[in-house]
Amino acid sequence: MATAETRRLTAPDRLRRSLSNGRVSAALILLPPALILFTLFVMLPLGESVWYSFFSWNGYGTPTDYVGLENYQRIAGHSVFHTAVGNTLKIVAISILLQMPLALLLALLIYRKTPTNAVFRLIFFVPYILAEVAAGLIWSFVFDGNYGVTASIAQSLGTESFFILADRDWAFVAVMTVIVWKYFGFHMMIYIAALQSVPEDLIEAARIEGAKRRQIVRYVQIPHIKPAIIVSAFFAIIGALQVFDIIIPLTNGGPSNQTHTIVTYLYTFGLTRLNIGFGSAVGVILFIAAITVAVFYQRFFMQRGQA
Amino acid sequence: MAEVRLQNVEKAFGNLTVIPDMTLTVPDGSFTVLVGPSGCGKSTLLRIISGLEMPTKGEVLIGGQDVTLEEPSDRGISMVFQSYALYPHMTVAQNIDFGLRLAKTPAEERERRVAEAARILALEDFLDRKPAQLSGGQRQRVAIGRSIVRQPGVFLFDEPLSNLDAALRTQMRVELAQLHQSLDATMIYVTHDQVEAMTLADQIVVMNKGRIEQVGAPMDLYDHPETEFVAGFIGSPRMNLLPGSAIGREDVNTVGVRPEHIRADTADGDWPATAQVVETLGADTILYAKAERIGDVTVRLPGHMRLSAGEPLFLTPDPDYLHLFDEGGRRVNAA
Repeated sequence: MATAETRRLTAPDRLRRSLSNGRVSAALILLPPALILFTLFVMLPLGESVWYSFFSWNGYGTPTDYVGLENYQRIAGHSVFHTAVGNTLKIVAISILLQMPLALLLALLIYRKTPTNAVFRLIFFVPYILAEVAAGLIWSFVFDGNYGVTASIAQSLGTESFFILADRDWAFVAVMTVIVWKYFGFHMMIYIAALQSVPEDLIEAARIEGAKRRQIVRYVQIPHIKPAIIVSAFFAIIGALQVFDIIIPLTNGGPSNQTHTIVTYLYTFGLTRLNIGFGSAVGVILFIAAITVAVFYQRFFMQRGQA
Repeated sequence: MAEVRLQNVEKAFGNLTVIPDMTLTVPDGSFTVLVGPSGCGKSTLLRIISGLEMPTKGEVLIGGQDVTLEEPSDRGISMVFQSYALYPHMTVAQNIDFGLRLAKTPAEERERRVAEAARILALEDFLDRKPAQLSGGQRQRVAIGRSIVRQPGVFLFDEPLSNLDAALRTQMRVELAQLHQSLDATMIYVTHDQVEAMTLADQIVVMNKGRIEQVGAPMDLYDHPETEFVAGFIGSPRMNLLPGSAIGREDVNTVGVRPEHIRADTADGDWPATAQVVETLGADTILYAKAERIGDVTVRLPGHMRLSAGEPLFLTPDPDYLHLFDEGGRRVNAA
């Protein structure tokens, strides 16, 4: 029988094939630059951070004062860190519950390619283009109770001026407002691109079948752009873990450390106070949090979403 | 009663007038095919009937009701798209059921209608699949199923078979014809494929540059084309349209003669010619020849002719089947 003599492909056969078709050499040429950069700028600093986090070290000289897990214990017991984690979670919540729906609503209004929509798209996207520090500064002027827009409003209403950024209860609300304002345009653009890829035929077919605008959005457009929504939520969550340079010019973490996020907490209590070991421990915690979120999200949402 | 009537319909996109002025009646229960070259406005016309486009002027009447300003869903129509337009995230059953669900049809009735459509279209085994897991022909059936369950008075088809391969297209053509017979609904079908038009239609509307060239039964159009355009468009291989002066008919501008109405002979005939290309199809042989002083002539010969390229021969048109056209391309009289 011919089948008895049919040659089976063995591992060396496959290796020879890979070598001859250039895949291995392509990998050998293309992989090292990325691998070297990743090792130099991500893996080594990360390893160093983990190492420093076991020391009480001010950043000068070689760390010698080994303290074990003490830095982690201090962080775990520090109420400001709890506030920072809470604030980060609040940003995640506000991003998902307010920012993303707002972005989707606006995207649905202006996704069609018309000159007017292009103008609106630009207007809504401008905050995202602005540097975070600039945005923070602009809004700190807006919220300024002496000279800012808030002051003018208070004046015109004849009420006493309100210093929102100095208010323990309201400062973080102001911060979240700025964050929503700054990043909704980014999510809107993701949705616009996705909505533009929904075939017009599908929408027309739904219209013929009697779907009203809202039903078309619910049954046709949103299911179609679900992968984009999942990706945008991922960016929102990871972005929330990284919020830093909007808060520094706005509140610098104040008043009374009420508006810190994990990164501003790291910066304030680790870097500016020269507690590099402590800061490194915060960095390691943040890294683990980000990786955990990324892996879980990838596993539970993105693969299913893409399917 | 679902007669469709277009009354002086005009459609312009900005400065571009796609349909200048069109009046057309599609009889109740007919299978009417709108046919014409790309860009002739046939799809636009279908979209105007469906309500997806508003006419710039004129009225659309369905079953005697003026529906010009009505929403597509209120016109008692359904439409099958060229791309099938199936919702990729829904199963076959959900796709078919979608319109009924929107219309809040009772669940039992929905189930019954979906099952009935699935039975008619042989989709019972695929109801739980997503469109991506279906072949082109199956997808097309789902799209048709989605139309059927709504029990519309008028079915609109926008080039529904153009994405299918040749064998499947032939099969689906037969299925559509059977469907029309069993449903007894008005069907309006857009295509640029004149074979589809000839085989499916009770009535063909030949369009060109937004205007109707001729309306009639398939064989009427084939035997008595009113214009040179229709003569050239209907029939495959297309009719030979030869200059009158070249064949001794100075009284007309163009003489049309179908390929099957020309005889070829190696010994004797009216037009000396040379065979250029010979296509042997089995039942027929298509001969592309160059006739002296006349130009290219296509001839359909019955059976398998033993001819080869470069061979001299004589062509003789059947004088009973000449179509004469004036300078404006209008039919002069049947010869």
